[in-house]
Amino acid sequence: MTGPLEAIADPDVHAAFREWLLRAADDELVIGHRHSEWTGFGPDIESDVALSSIAQDEIGHARAMYAHLVADADRDTDHLAFSRPASEYRHGIFVERENAGWEWSIARLALYERYDALRLRALGASNQEPVAGLARALLREERYHALFADTWLVRMCGGSPEGHARVQAAIDAAWPDALGLFERTDADERLLTSGVLPAGDPRKSWEAAVRPLLESCGLTVPSASAREGGRRGTHTPEFERLLAQMTEVRRSDPEARW
Amino acid sequence: MTAAGSWERRLDAPRDVWAVFLQSRTRDPHIHVGDVHAPDAEMALVVAKENYARRDPCVSLWVVRAGEIHATTADAAEMFDPALDKSYRFGGSYRKQQQVYRSAWRLSHRDEDQ
Repeated sequence: MTGPLEAIADPDVHAAFREWLLRAADDELVIGHRHSEWTGFGPDIESDVALSSIAQDEIGHARAMYAHLVADADRDTDHLAFSRPASEYRHGIFVERENAGWEWSIARLALYERYDALRLRALGASNQEPVAGLARALLREERYHALFADTWLVRMCGGSPEGHARVQAAIDAAWPDALGLFERTDADERLLTSGVLPAGDPRKSWEAAVRPLLESCGLTVPSASAREGGRRGTHTPEFERLLAQMTEVRRSDPEARW
Repeated sequence: MTAAGSWERRLDAPRDVWAVFLQSRTRDPHIHVGDVHAPDAEMALVVAKENYARRDPCVSLWVVRAGEIHATTADAAEMFDPALDKSYRFGGSYRKQQQVYRSAWRLSHRDEDQ
């Protein structure tokens, strides 16, 4: 079967681009699931609804990206989302971490959205239509996600010394996993030389975007180094638990059609 | 309050309640769609977007502190009720005109109105 990703002739580069896109889709699915766990538990009904809506957005983004991947491989999106062993998921460990307080989830959202925006911009600027067009459309929603995160972050940091200290602790705890999003594999090397995606140093661009945000909140940018593994399918027990819960309905009857 | 009796009041709302007004399309009026709780205007707009604009079309939101809204009182309602037949004043034909104007405007502004 041919699909929208068929345009890349070199099979190694083609596989590398699929891998790159799968990471993005898995990141969105897993962080979307984590956000959805706040539904009914947010600090107020307004932000509960808003973050739940963001969760739906992210899962929708994952689905749209999976659709491009399965068109190439003759599988359905549900199979990709729900029927793989943990080791075949390519999201960063950062997004699978369990929520640990509102400030932690907001800190993760703020750091992740900067990363996701850079990734979508790179994809949007590539010659990989129609996925590039999808990326440009998704950026419209991601802009709101970052706005929501920043609005909360600024207020929690400016509200009281306790709020500021808790956000700093959340950023410190999040930092190694956030850097782990940039973990590189052979796929990155192949993509880099192929010219499929625009050249650049994503981690440098991310730090340049994150640093002013944190500093404007009076936060110290951590210096810890990256904790990796996710991009190679090495996940934590936190993801095992998430996957068991997320696939519970699917596993009860894998052949059911909705 | 005037000699004629109390007919005006400021809405009694906590300081963190914001009234949300939504505009569906360019040149439509902003319509009150509900309230949100928020510490300030920016947060009110941020949460209003997902609480009121995630389903139906929206091009613009307004928020205003609900306690800043001045309103007529309930017992002023009878002032709005005509004592004699004033159907000659009904604005039905004006509303028709508005519809005609709007559809004509849409035809000539199709690109802007997306």
